[in-house]
Amino acid sequence: MTFLLTMAAAATAVGIEMLEALAIVLAVGMERGFRDALAGALAAVAAVVLLCLAVGPALLGGADLDVLRVIVGSLLLLFGLEWLRKGILRMAGLRPRSSSYDEFVEERSALGAAASSGAGADWAARLVAFKGVFLEGLEVGLIVLALGGAPGHLAPALLGTAVALVVVGAIGLLLHQPLRRLPETQMKLGVGVALTAFGTFFTAEGLGVEWPLSDLALLYLAGLFAASAGLAIRLLTRPVRVAEAT
Amino acid sequence: MRSLLASLRRLILGETWTIPLGVGAALMLAVAIRALLPHGTWQTAGGFCLAVFVLAALAGSLRRAPRRRS
Repeated sequence: MTFLLTMAAAATAVGIEMLEALAIVLAVGMERGFRDALAGALAAVAAVVLLCLAVGPALLGGADLDVLRVIVGSLLLLFGLEWLRKGILRMAGLRPRSSSYDEFVEERSALGAAASSGAGADWAARLVAFKGVFLEGLEVGLIVLALGGAPGHLAPALLGTAVALVVVGAIGLLLHQPLRRLPETQMKLGVGVALTAFGTFFTAEGLGVEWPLSDLALLYLAGLFAASAGLAIRLLTRPVRVAEAT
Repeated sequence: MRSLLASLRRLILGETWTIPLGVGAALMLAVAIRALLPHGTWQTAGGFCLAVFVLAALAGSLRRAPRRRS
């Protein structure tokens, strides 16, 4: 059960972040050429992988098991609550809905307005692709490190990442039309619920808690956070009465 | 470079300080309650205490959100 839940959470979180990175690379590629877009993106992927290999074992390797659970849980809580907060505000209509397609269009028009450096390497385009992929990739790296950092969770987290890679790669090959059809806001809210549930579960275990029903606690925690998110959306959607000025 | 650093800070700590502060407060409260409660009680009920603190942190981060006006 935990294996499947970890895999699903990793696949969805990584998939969404990679979709955003893909939108930026596609925009740079279509506007300024795919050679420069891919050069920037590959440099960013290499930087993220090196950073994770350097920081990951140092961060998670030497710690005591309970301390490790608290570190991993706190990281997941930071990410999960942020995704949950944004998801609630988006669903309540208080912030624009998340859309990789819109990001793609915005990035493309911004790049189209900027002048190209002419012949040779287009460093501006490479930098835009690098920055976009590096930031999204770093978030992917941190989420996978946090989800896979708990004992026995590395395999499902990596498997979920691989699934996301294949799916987003396929979407990239089919270009941008499928981006429009994905319910990204709802998916991000779901990831927020899952990461917050995992974060609470691991942190509590690190503090010596024994959850009733063991790993199934992840399900009732996810239910609790999903219900709370639904309630928050309803409360925030309800209009506030403004006293009429006399 | 400055915008990259700002993006990195936003990526790790989020858009507002309320969530990192809320998570920190939830952890400190959980540790304090663990010290006060008998070991067996904490083992069975501690997780639910932490879940409530996490929900409070979420509610705190949403308190300053703009509301629709009628």
